[in-house]
Amino acid sequence: MTEPALTALGLSLKVALWATGIDLVLGMAVGYLLARGRFPGRELLDALLTLPMVMPPTVLGYYLLVVIGRNGPLGAWLHDTLGINLIFTWQAAVIAAAVVAFPLVLKGARAAFETVDVQLEQAARVLGVSEFGVFLRVTLPLAWRGILAGTLLAFARSMGEFGATLMVAGSIPGKTQTLSIAVYEAVQAGQDDTANLLVLITSATCVLVLVLASRLAPGRSVSA
Amino acid sequence: MSIHVDIASTLRAGARTFRLQTRFEARGQRVVIYGASGAGKSQMLKAIAGLTRPDAGRIELSGRVLFDRAAGVDVSPQRRKVGYLFQDYALFPHLNVRQNIAFGLQRGWRNPPRRGDSDAVNYWLQAFELDAVAQQLPEQLSGGQRQRVALARALVAEPAALLLDEPFAALDPALRVRMRAELDALQRRLDIPMLLITHDPEDAATFGGQVLTMADGAIVEERFL
Amino acid sequence: MRKIFLLALAAALPAGASAAEVTVSAAASLTNAFRELAQAFEAAHPGDKVLLNFAASDPLVQQIAKGAPVDVFASADQEAMDKAEALALVAARTRRDFVANTVVLIVPAASAFKPATLADLDVQSVQRLTTGNPASVPIGRYAKDALMKAGIWARLEPRFVYGASVRQSLDYVARGEVDAGFVYATDVMAQKDKVRAVLTVPTTSPVRYPIAVLARAPQPALALGFVQYTLSPPGQAILAKYGFVRP
Repeated sequence: MTEPALTALGLSLKVALWATGIDLVLGMAVGYLLARGRFPGRELLDALLTLPMVMPPTVLGYYLLVVIGRNGPLGAWLHDTLGINLIFTWQAAVIAAAVVAFPLVLKGARAAFETVDVQLEQAARVLGVSEFGVFLRVTLPLAWRGILAGTLLAFARSMGEFGATLMVAGSIPGKTQTLSIAVYEAVQAGQDDTANLLVLITSATCVLVLVLASRLAPGRSVSA
Repeated sequence: MSIHVDIASTLRAGARTFRLQTRFEARGQRVVIYGASGAGKSQMLKAIAGLTRPDAGRIELSGRVLFDRAAGVDVSPQRRKVGYLFQDYALFPHLNVRQNIAFGLQRGWRNPPRRGDSDAVNYWLQAFELDAVAQQLPEQLSGGQRQRVALARALVAEPAALLLDEPFAALDPALRVRMRAELDALQRRLDIPMLLITHDPEDAATFGGQVLTMADGAIVEERFL
Repeated sequence: MRKIFLLALAAALPAGASAAEVTVSAAASLTNAFRELAQAFEAAHPGDKVLLNFAASDPLVQQIAKGAPVDVFASADQEAMDKAEALALVAARTRRDFVANTVVLIVPAASAFKPATLADLDVQSVQRLTTGNPASVPIGRYAKDALMKAGIWARLEPRFVYGASVRQSLDYVARGEVDAGFVYATDVMAQKDKVRAVLTVPTTSPVRYPIAVLARAPQPALALGFVQYTLSPPGQAILAKYGFVRP
């Protein structure tokens, strides 16, 4: 009984780590753009990118299915040009989780960057440090707590993703059957003992992650 | 130093519009731009440093063209070789005094080490009597110490000119008097060109040199002290 | 004022014995047929309502076992009903087989795949198959038994993507996400533009659907009436329209 549970846990961790990794890079980039940029439509863009957080996962899953499915605009191109079928793969599960959890990193990153005094970045520039150097040496060290808190929430959300994942990745034991989907299947099949064990593992992991996130308490925002 | 500024900018903040139209020429090692708050002094100083980009015009410093809209020249702030002293110093809160001063000497993606041993940095630590607090963080320093760290940080890279944004505004009156004298002595010793903006007539009187008065985004008066 | 208040209160209270609701949990493959059957039943029993709940058969049993207030249960195979009986959920002597079905192999409409026998599935070009999860969906059990009899289950199993119900498997084929799938002959009609049946699958046991009244049915009399309706000529005629045959 524990072996399939461990497989599902391993799969959930793999999917969540990849999704969170992608979200971290994209979230920081877009978060910085939204925090510092002044362009028309900025808040509209922020709202659009936050949509996945409030949309029902099944709706999101449906949109993803339509886009990356075999007959969808992106899916057909992937199949014809690169021979890639995303549906029913763990990569599709990563895409679903990444889309759903992205707003969490974005919000955390944007808020964190906004607490960093722009003058500090300006001071660094005048002292001759390159743009990327300014980001790595001044902005990031002052913003990392907020970004990490958002990232941990995104990780927990990715671990629990179900609706969108089920639609695009299906439920294939060992390949796409993450913990939350495994719970669903166990209940469907009347295997209560398995369901209980899986729920316990999932809950424990999420609680652990949330405790870590709360430790990075909303930073005493620091400026000169 | 010779500095030639001829710029125009329209700045919008909400419903208000502010038009900056500054034109002046300065020769000599000391220039003071004097004016009330809101006259546009800070905006102009930031434009000279390259931290903002004017809509039109030209900025030339000691023969180097830093900005020329018509010719498509816009030297990045990283390469203008000016030192900038911010009004509230903009010290990096996560770095100690030594690291702050050494910041500009270290190009690349890593910050200077906590216990460095650079000759240039040591010189300034001594000159400004900051040895004792070299390992401390900015939040642990007094106002006067912070200003000296900011000055040292700007000077250690041997800039072509030093731009100072209301350098004494954040200090209490007694300290202000002392720091004015210190800056005066420093400028004499280093003979580095300084461009200082202030709303305090005492600063202009003490510092001297060429004093330009600014109001509503334009230079309205010029005198020599 | 008081009269209006009392009237409103009376209207808000649960309906009395004259207007009853019967809750029917039915296998997913019965979706279209039972919807029409329910409307006909309501027409024949004015004032009464039929509430339909469709899903794979085993999960339906789980819901009932955990206390869902269901009156009638119609499953797609004997095993699911056996599970219900083993849990003492079924009212004595009310279990009947009411329709029969066949299992077919379908492919996406645009596919050129034309297998002559099940063994033709065992090729490299067939990379993805679908059917219901054998642990919880009858169609999966039928398919698995048939493939085991043909001796190719072990080799084909890794290629299966399980649907939560037969209708989900049907959807996978309709979208072209899989190369072929096992569903009921009656399901093909639901997506007839997008899928094509290419093979009738011989099952190890006849595909007969049982229906029964539940032991803790809130409306036992009406429940029995519904079961009898499915067995009656008008009920059977409707089921036949959707491809179900007599058991």
